[in-house]
Amino acid sequence: MLLRLPFTLSSALLSPPLHPHRSKPFSSLSSSPNPNPNPNHSSNTTLPLFLRPLSYSAPVSSLLSFRLWAESLALSSVDDPHLLRELSWLIDDASAHKHPRNDSLVPLRAELHELYELWRERIEKRRPFQYLVGCEHWRDLVLGVREGVLIPRPETEMVVDLVGEVEGFERGWWADLGTGSGALAIGIGRMLREDGRVFATDLSSDAVEVARFNVERYGLKDKVEIRQGSWFEPLQDVKGKLAGIVSNPPYIPTSHLPGLQPEVGLHEPRLALDGGENGMDHLLHLCEGSASALKSGGFFAFETNGDAHSEFLADLMTAKWGKFFHNIKIVLDFAGIKRFVTGYCR
Amino acid sequence: MVFSLLLKRSKTPKPLPLPLPLPLPTRNPNPLRASPRSTATSPLGLSIAYGAGALSGTWRPSRCGEASRSSIAPLLGLRSFSSPATTAAIAEPPRTCDGLTVDAIVGKGWTILDEGESDWRSHAAAIAQSVQVIKKRLQWGRMIDKSMQLSAILNKSDLWDDPDYAGRISREHGEIMGKIKGVNQFEQELVEHIDLLKLAREENDNELEAESMRALLEMRRKAKEKELEAILSGDNDSCSCFIEVQAGAGGTESMDWAAMVMNMYMMWAQRRGFAVTVVEEMPGEIAGIKRATIKVHGEYAFGYAKAEVGVHRLVRISPFDSGKRRHTSFAAVAVIPILGNVSTKYQIKESDLRIERFRAGGAGGQHVNTTESAVRIVHIPTGISATCQNERSQHQNKASAMAVLQSRLDQLEIARQAQMNAEHTQSLSEISWGNQIRSYVLHPYRMVKDLRTNYEVSDPDSVLDGDIDGLILSFLSASLDKNEDRA
Ligand SMILES: C[S@@+](CC[C@H](N)C(=O)[O-])C[C@H]1O[C@@H](n2cnc3c(N)ncnc32)[C@H](O)[C@@H]1O
Repeated sequence: MLLRLPFTLSSALLSPPLHPHRSKPFSSLSSSPNPNPNPNHSSNTTLPLFLRPLSYSAPVSSLLSFRLWAESLALSSVDDPHLLRELSWLIDDASAHKHPRNDSLVPLRAELHELYELWRERIEKRRPFQYLVGCEHWRDLVLGVREGVLIPRPETEMVVDLVGEVEGFERGWWADLGTGSGALAIGIGRMLREDGRVFATDLSSDAVEVARFNVERYGLKDKVEIRQGSWFEPLQDVKGKLAGIVSNPPYIPTSHLPGLQPEVGLHEPRLALDGGENGMDHLLHLCEGSASALKSGGFFAFETNGDAHSEFLADLMTAKWGKFFHNIKIVLDFAGIKRFVTGYCR
Repeated sequence: MVFSLLLKRSKTPKPLPLPLPLPLPTRNPNPLRASPRSTATSPLGLSIAYGAGALSGTWRPSRCGEASRSSIAPLLGLRSFSSPATTAAIAEPPRTCDGLTVDAIVGKGWTILDEGESDWRSHAAAIAQSVQVIKKRLQWGRMIDKSMQLSAILNKSDLWDDPDYAGRISREHGEIMGKIKGVNQFEQELVEHIDLLKLAREENDNELEAESMRALLEMRRKAKEKELEAILSGDNDSCSCFIEVQAGAGGTESMDWAAMVMNMYMMWAQRRGFAVTVVEEMPGEIAGIKRATIKVHGEYAFGYAKAEVGVHRLVRISPFDSGKRRHTSFAAVAVIPILGNVSTKYQIKESDLRIERFRAGGAGGQHVNTTESAVRIVHIPTGISATCQNERSQHQNKASAMAVLQSRLDQLEIARQAQMNAEHTQSLSEISWGNQIRSYVLHPYRMVKDLRTNYEVSDPDSVLDGDIDGLILSFLSASLDKNEDRA
């Protein structure tokens, strides 16, 4: 009676219990041999887990053993309550319905042994959860992601809100520079009216491929156009016609890259993170280019590395480039960091 | 979440013991029912309809006097005659030819025998008793008053200047009238069947007598269903709801108990076919939860769950005590309706909100990848807050937290307007730890007992696995039945 089902159950159901005394360093990881993940990943276009067909199945009991194994693996290696939540999501994505029939077989979208491998990679290689399941929930979207493409961050969600506050934004032409998974382009594209459009560029062919996939999945092919190339290069035909530009360009100073958390430093693409010596290389290029890319009265919003970087940019655009821009503002992210610089083209 | 629940259990959900409440059926169970109707206008300007007998003294004597079957036969064709939508009930109840009303039948004190016994008095007494129970549960007197008030408003000439308001009033009026008519019709059927049965006896018409007896029996069964349906007729009963559970003092022991209670509700909701989502949770350090909120989505979720408000007490040998001593733990439960009607919602001003999001400290942005995206929203003027961390994006966590906050503020508003029975609107912070409603004893004996109704279940496991309908319904019916009807 003492260990009756409901409360072992409830801990799995309700919350990953915290285990404050179990923290152990990720000793095996610092020596992980693979700082740059599979460069040929673009050829391996697997669907996000939750979109794959239910081609497999496993007995409820096997799935339960997987869960128990995965929980103990998670708890033995790191003190992170989110891991157990991730585990539930992994199983959510991998299995069919929230309410499986009470058969002993659960339909699955991946073979059970694949789930074991995925979870081992999560714990032992610190492979990001979002790459495991091939998607990230961002705003109200579920975006496909995979190695080679930056996993969109929650801070960036706010850029869409900033655009939504711009007068007449619904009918304008917008650019999302360095679109990655297409997050911003899709977030904005969904708010536009018929005549509104988003041009989204990226240098990375992985990003272009994933962004196209996501745009298509949200039925936005007519609104969001993905173009491959460096920053403004693919946008020559709309130069001076843009109602707005948004970008979350790589902004981490090169020297900080080795110190990043393993999920980021070991697995996310360097092209998406490396902002040059002081992190400002791309931002400066984008600010400068916006002066001619935007139409008069056009809006811009850039995400930066925070505080000092935002202040530096804002000062620069107010003072030195004041003849091109006005109404320059710094916007805080939810953690209170000066994260975004916004303004208008004269 | 729900999925993982099933992973750990493979028990088939038991069939629901009760049908979900549905609008009262309007089907006429008895093809022989003769119900000529008259319409008249009351002093209040309400148009009134009642079945045979109430108003039409003109023809009743002839029917009840030397009436013969042939004089009734032509009336059989009038069954489909229905009254206009705006009719209200009137004070005068249907009577049999010899003047029996539902109350008079109950007053006779006829013995109620088994359903199997073909005794019309027993059937009639059982039905009449049910009608009284139903009326009490519907708060009949209050309902009639309300219908009159609404009719009066509906008769105002400028009503439709505000079509939104008018629409709401007329919808509400329609709902109430539907309930009133349902009961009136039922009473009417009862007296008619009694009349027919007596008539059949006088005329030695065995076939008609058997038919009337069958009709009474069917009514008797239907009356029991209607009694149950009437339990959930409160203003917000049909809403979805949030259920919140908070651990009492006593550390891990109580937190574990709180998790068991929450689990009981999740399994109960699942059995009932409600959709459950975990909205907010503060896990305990070692086991269980300090506090958690789930959303239970489905028709009548609030109507049932409101019976659970209060403190739940557990007595058991603690699994956390190496000395194997007996412990008593407490968990408080609050239930908040999710109001469907937008017009009653509390208007939240964006500027009154402080939104806090939890993220790993440090540089944030591109530096960090975490799936933690909890959001907490504080409504500054009231200090009420809501947290959500179980959605997979921050945006969604914010939306969920906002929904919880909205409902908490709505609840406050409802309490303020005193539109509801106060005990069902308490928030967790208002529930006194002294307000124990149920006790679950696992040791030295095994028993769950509702302290309000003394309803007992000797199998705590089944209760903790979500089989709580018995406890809920006995409480709801007891609390409704003791409420004095202001009729
Ligand atoms: C920090 S990521 C942002 C991705 C996405 N906008 C988001 O917010 O999730 C920066 C993106 O810029 C792209 N990028 C890097 N250098 C670029 C260049 N020269 N031209 C265009 N895109 C570039 C990277 O491939 C990457 O997708």
